[in-house]
Amino acid sequence: MAEEISITYGSGHAATPALRDVSLNFFPGRLVLVMGPSGSGKTTLLSVLGCMLLPDQGDVHVRGQSVRGLSESQRVDLRRHSIGYVFQAFRLFRSLTALENLVLALDVAGRAKDGAKAKAEQALAAVGLSDKWRLKPGELSGGEKQRVAIARALINDPPIVLADEPTASLDWRSGEGIAAMLLRIAKEHGKLVVVVTHDPRMTPFGQRIVKMEDGRVVEDAEQG
Amino acid sequence: MWLAWRNLNHDRFRFLVTIVGIAFAVFLMIFQGSLLVGFLRASSKSIDVTDADLWIAGRGVESFEFAAPLPERFYDIAVGVEGVEAVYRMTLGFAFWQKPSGMRQSVLLIGAEPGTGSQFPIPYVDAGQTSVASEAVLVDRSNARTLGVDVVPAGTEISARRAQVVEVIDGFGTFFGTPYVFTGYADAVRYLRWPGDAIVFLIVRVQPGHDPQEVKRALQRKLPEVDVWTRDEFSRRARAFWVRKTGAGGAILLVALLGFLVGLVIVSQNIYATTMENLEEFATLKAIGARRWYIQKVVLTQALACGIVGSFVGLLALLPLMEPIRNTISWIDMPWWLPFGMIFVGLLMCVLASVASIKKALAVEPARVFRA
Ligand SMILES: Nc1ncnc2c1ncn2[C@@H]1O[C@H](COP(=O)(O)OP(=O)(O)OP(=O)(O)O)[C@@H](O)[C@H]1O
Ligand SMILES: [Mg+2]
Repeated sequence: MAEEISITYGSGHAATPALRDVSLNFFPGRLVLVMGPSGSGKTTLLSVLGCMLLPDQGDVHVRGQSVRGLSESQRVDLRRHSIGYVFQAFRLFRSLTALENLVLALDVAGRAKDGAKAKAEQALAAVGLSDKWRLKPGELSGGEKQRVAIARALINDPPIVLADEPTASLDWRSGEGIAAMLLRIAKEHGKLVVVVTHDPRMTPFGQRIVKMEDGRVVEDAEQG
Repeated sequence: MWLAWRNLNHDRFRFLVTIVGIAFAVFLMIFQGSLLVGFLRASSKSIDVTDADLWIAGRGVESFEFAAPLPERFYDIAVGVEGVEAVYRMTLGFAFWQKPSGMRQSVLLIGAEPGTGSQFPIPYVDAGQTSVASEAVLVDRSNARTLGVDVVPAGTEISARRAQVVEVIDGFGTFFGTPYVFTGYADAVRYLRWPGDAIVFLIVRVQPGHDPQEVKRALQRKLPEVDVWTRDEFSRRARAFWVRKTGAGGAILLVALLGFLVGLVIVSQNIYATTMENLEEFATLKAIGARRWYIQKVVLTQALACGIVGSFVGLLALLPLMEPIRNTISWIDMPWWLPFGMIFVGLLMCVLASVASIKKALAVEPARVFRA
C-alpha cells in the first residue's frame, strides 16, 4: 500500500519529479498491471513498493508495516521475507546453474539447510524446467531464464511478487507463457503480483490496470 | 559459498594471476623469514652452544666475531671471585689460511679450552673431551670448498705454521663471508701470534647454589674495566649487533615487506576487478535481501580462497628449493612455525586486499536492478 508518495530525482534545475502524490492500495490474490508511457515513473513506483527506494514524501506500508520507520537492515529483512522480484534483464547469477541459482536464494534467506536442493528441484519443476537444472543462464533461452527467475522469486514464499517488464525481452510465445504463469501465481497461490509493463499482450491477464503518466496515476480500473 | 568459487572460476586467467601473486608473496616472506631466523641464530650460535653461565668480554664488545683482547691477569682475578667454579679461556682473531692452490684465504680462527661446552667445536683427541689434539683444526662443511679441503685429514698452513684439518663439522658455517676455523686454545694463540695478551673471552661457570646474577655483580666489581654478561644477555647483544647495527636485518625485512606489498597489490587488484565485474550480481543479491554480512562473506571467501590456494602453491614451490638453497646458504633456517606464520600473514594480506572491494559491493544501489 502506498500513501501519497512523491519522489524527485536530483535537485535544483536538474530535478525530475518521478512520482507525484501517488496513493495506491493493493490486495492479495490479484495481478495488477502498471502501464504508461516511457518515463512516466513506473519503475520508480516499483522500486518504492519494493522497499529499495525511500520516497521523499509519503510512506509505504507492507502488510501493515510502515517502511519509513525501518532501518536499512530492517528493510533488507523485509525484502527477503515479504517480496519476490522479477526483472526484465532476468538477473540470474551467470556462473551458477539454474538449480544453484535457486539454492542461492534459499541461502540468502538462511534456508540452505538440508532439503534445499530438493526444494529447488521442486521449484524448477513447478515452472516446467526439471530437465534443465544443470544449465547455466548462458545456456538457457530468454523464456527459460525468466521462468528460473520466477521460480527464484517464489522460492522463499513471499506474499508479494514485483515484476518490471518481465516480458519485454521475450518473444510473443514465451511472453504469453510468463504472463499466464504470473496470473496463476496470483490466483492459485493468493499472492499479490504487481507487474510493470509496456506490453499490450499482458493486458488480458491483468485483473486490475493502473495507468500512469508523468508521475501521476491517471487511471485505475478493475477488469473482468 | 560456492558463489565465490564460481565467480573465481568464471575468469580462470585472473584467478591464476592472483594465485601466482600470492604464491610469490608467501614464497618471498617465508624465504626472507628463514633468512632472518637463520641469521639471528647463526649470529649468536658460538655463544649459545657454550655451557657457560657468564661471559667476560672487553668493554663495549658487541659481537662474538669482533672483540679485543683482555689482560692475562684477569683470568686469575676471575678464578678468585666467590661463587666461580671454573673459568675457561677463549681467543679468536683473523688469520691467513694457505690453500693448496697457493692462494691465501682470510679466516676467523677460534681457540677454546675444554670445558667451554660439549657442543663447542674443539678438536679433541678422545671422545671424553679431555685433551685437545695439537695442530688440529675443524672447519664447517659449507666452507670446506672455499678452504680447499676435499678429504680429511688434510694438511695446510695457518699463518705459515703447520695445521691439519681433522674433521669437517656442521652448523658453524659463516654468515658474513669469512670462514670459521676451530682449534684448541694453545694452538690458536700460536697461529694468531698475538704480541701480548691473547685472551679474548673468559667463560665462567658458576658454582651450583650460587646465583649467576650475584656472581656477575661480584665479577663486575673486581673487573671494572670489562663487561660481564650472562650467556643470554651476550647472545641477545650479538644478535642485535648483526641484525640492527649492520643493517643486514633491515635489508632482509625490507625484501619480506616488499613481497608482502607486491602480493597485496596483486590480490587487491584482482579481487577488486572480480568484484567490479560482478557488481550487478551484488546489486541483485542486495535486492533479493542479502544481509551485509552475506555480501562481505562472498567477497571475503573469494579473497581467502585465492589466499589458501596461493599460499599452498608458494609453499609447494619453496619446499623442493630448500635443499639447494641450504647448500648455498648453509645458515638459512626454517623453523616449523615459520611457513604457518607466513601463510597466516598471506591470508591477512588477502583480507586486507578485499576491504576496498567489500566497500564497493556494499555501496551498490539495489534499486539499479530495475534498470535494464
Ligand atoms: N536514477 C535516476 N536518476 C535520475 N533520474 C531518474 C532516475 N531514474 C529515473 N529517473 C527519471 O525519473 C522519471 C521516471 O523514470 P522511470 O524509470 O520510473 O520511468 P518508467 O515509467 O519506468 O519508464 P520506462 O517505461 O522507460 O522504463 C524519468 O523522467 C527518468 O528520467
Ligand atoms: Mg521502467
